[in-house]
Amino acid sequence: MAISAATKAATDALAVNRAPVSVGAQEVHRWMQSFTWDFEKNRTKYSTKYKMANDTKEQFKLIAKEYARMESVKDERQFGSLQDVLTRVDAANRVHPKWNESMKVISNFLEVGEYNAIAATGMLWDSATAPEQKNGYLGQVLDEIRHTNQCGYINYYFAKQGQDAAGHNDARRTRAIGPLWKGMKRVFSDGFISGDAVECSINLQLVGEACFTNPLIVAVTEWASANGDEMTPTVFLSIETDELRHMANGYQTVVSIANDEASSKYLNTDLNNAFWTQQKYFTPVLGMMFEYGSHFKVEPWVKTWNRWVYEDWGGIWIGRLGKYGVQSPASLRDAKKDAYWAHHDLFLIAYALWPTGFFRLTLPTAEEAEWYETNYPGWYDMYGKVYEEWRARGCEDPNSGFLPLQWFIENNHPIYIDRVSQVPFCPSYCKGASNLRVLEYNGKKHSFSDQWGERMWLSEPERYECQNIWEQYEGRELSEVIAEGHGVRSDGKTLISQPHTNKDGKLWTLDDIKKIGCVFADPLKAL
Amino acid sequence: MSKSSNAYNAGIMQKTGKAFADEYFSEENQVVKESNEVVLVLKKSDELNTVVEEILLGSHLAENPTLVVEDRAGFWWLKATGKIEIDCTEVSELLGKHYSVYDLLVDVSSTIGRAYTLGETFTITSELMGLDVKLQDLQAA
Repeated sequence: MAISAATKAATDALAVNRAPVSVGAQEVHRWMQSFTWDFEKNRTKYSTKYKMANDTKEQFKLIAKEYARMESVKDERQFGSLQDVLTRVDAANRVHPKWNESMKVISNFLEVGEYNAIAATGMLWDSATAPEQKNGYLGQVLDEIRHTNQCGYINYYFAKQGQDAAGHNDARRTRAIGPLWKGMKRVFSDGFISGDAVECSINLQLVGEACFTNPLIVAVTEWASANGDEMTPTVFLSIETDELRHMANGYQTVVSIANDEASSKYLNTDLNNAFWTQQKYFTPVLGMMFEYGSHFKVEPWVKTWNRWVYEDWGGIWIGRLGKYGVQSPASLRDAKKDAYWAHHDLFLIAYALWPTGFFRLTLPTAEEAEWYETNYPGWYDMYGKVYEEWRARGCEDPNSGFLPLQWFIENNHPIYIDRVSQVPFCPSYCKGASNLRVLEYNGKKHSFSDQWGERMWLSEPERYECQNIWEQYEGRELSEVIAEGHGVRSDGKTLISQPHTNKDGKLWTLDDIKKIGCVFADPLKAL
Repeated sequence: MSKSSNAYNAGIMQKTGKAFADEYFSEENQVVKESNEVVLVLKKSDELNTVVEEILLGSHLAENPTLVVEDRAGFWWLKATGKIEIDCTEVSELLGKHYSVYDLLVDVSSTIGRAYTLGETFTITSELMGLDVKLQDLQAA
């Protein structure tokens, strides 16, 4: 059949210049650069003392279409696994009860961090002027929204499919009384979104994500698997597939300021402050969750910390930047001491304050005590014998009339709260890097556990005005405070938290607490 | 267990109790030490298992003798000196389907080092990309 002259002309032309049937994502990325967007003179609401360069790159050459496709595949795989095979094999009921409690803390707290990271990276998007750098931050904003949903979903899944839902489903209701909440807000909220924009990036991306997400989101999956939890690896390893871009964003933030004079003046102080801020909370809390919140141990927490924080983050990220003037954090020595001992110190206090929490705690068994002593020589004399005494006094039994907090009072070991990190510490009974410092400001006393936080406070004391639980509830009886702070289950009387995970053990109620007559007192008033 | 210095439990990690504490708290270990290694965490999946078993530990094993791969339950943990590279064109051929570098990123869980993509290649390197070495864009055909 004859064809028209026009069709023939088009056919001949295409034979010489083939029309593309598809365009690669990185070809689109290159093409988009020809738009030469110029943000250099844009105003930002979120200023920084550093000057961010205008030609900073994003390392993965990501465009919106590929980003969306990639993330949808991640979600299909994750939700597919959870809703199909993991539900069919009743995975949530195969989790060891101790680990079930740890996930109440880990996922609920990570959700808060992810939520605040949305704002943090939105702020960085506004501050940066390089188009590719902005693109990297924008992708991260979307990631953080995904992660917030993922963390919420895993608690929902545990609550719906698993064992002992209380604490998975409504942890936030205890945020006023739980002594771990305010410290968590300091690292996961204030540290990410308050102050200088680049400082926030250092807190969130260079330290929080490049350093601590590896134990918090990767290594945690080893502990989860060892303790029968296959949901957490499914979700958390999927979260971490976005974190590598966030780590790159943090590194590119440093690249963008590397040639700015301000970086030689401020970067090492900002890095040290960020490192101390993040480690002060993550180091003891993660160590406590891994070791004391598991039945099957993967390895001593100090080894996990040594690998991911000291050797790999320290050597591969910070060490390599040495020739650009980046120094080893001055607080590293104290951080290493904390990595060895601070989680043991914190568990002692957390167990003493168990009625104020939203998860159940368990005293170490004889077999676990042996493991601790093998891996942390000196553990028994400091901690093990105290747990033996508490157990002998019936600390797990509601009829005993004994709360471990009484042991601290009887033995004159006051528990203070560090003003900057909001982490509780007992200076007269600890092996970590904490020692008591007290300062007065505007007629009020403030306690500090270390020189690093004290220095941060001295430079801007108005930033750390958050009341701690001793100040907030001074003179109040404990059961009254628990009821007011929503620390009870749906029957209105049984505490969410319990000092054991024994299925057949009796559960403590408000009445059991009330008859002990424990009253909040601020130890700073006694000084 | 691998005896490589890049193994998950290499060096100090093989020690326990007092021996570990003595080295951990020794004066020389109170500052960070520059490292030329890179670490990659790959989420286990149909495709990534193939990448690890058939490419990194298979056809390309001889190219990077420093590479260590360990099975850590939900993920593969990789450490090497210098760099690790994965060419997704090669993965596509092996899988018998189109598999782009962004498909690979679906299951790349963590990186310690400077990771980047160029074309269909994923690289993680100890080089300081953007500082010592310029990050390249895809060149026009």
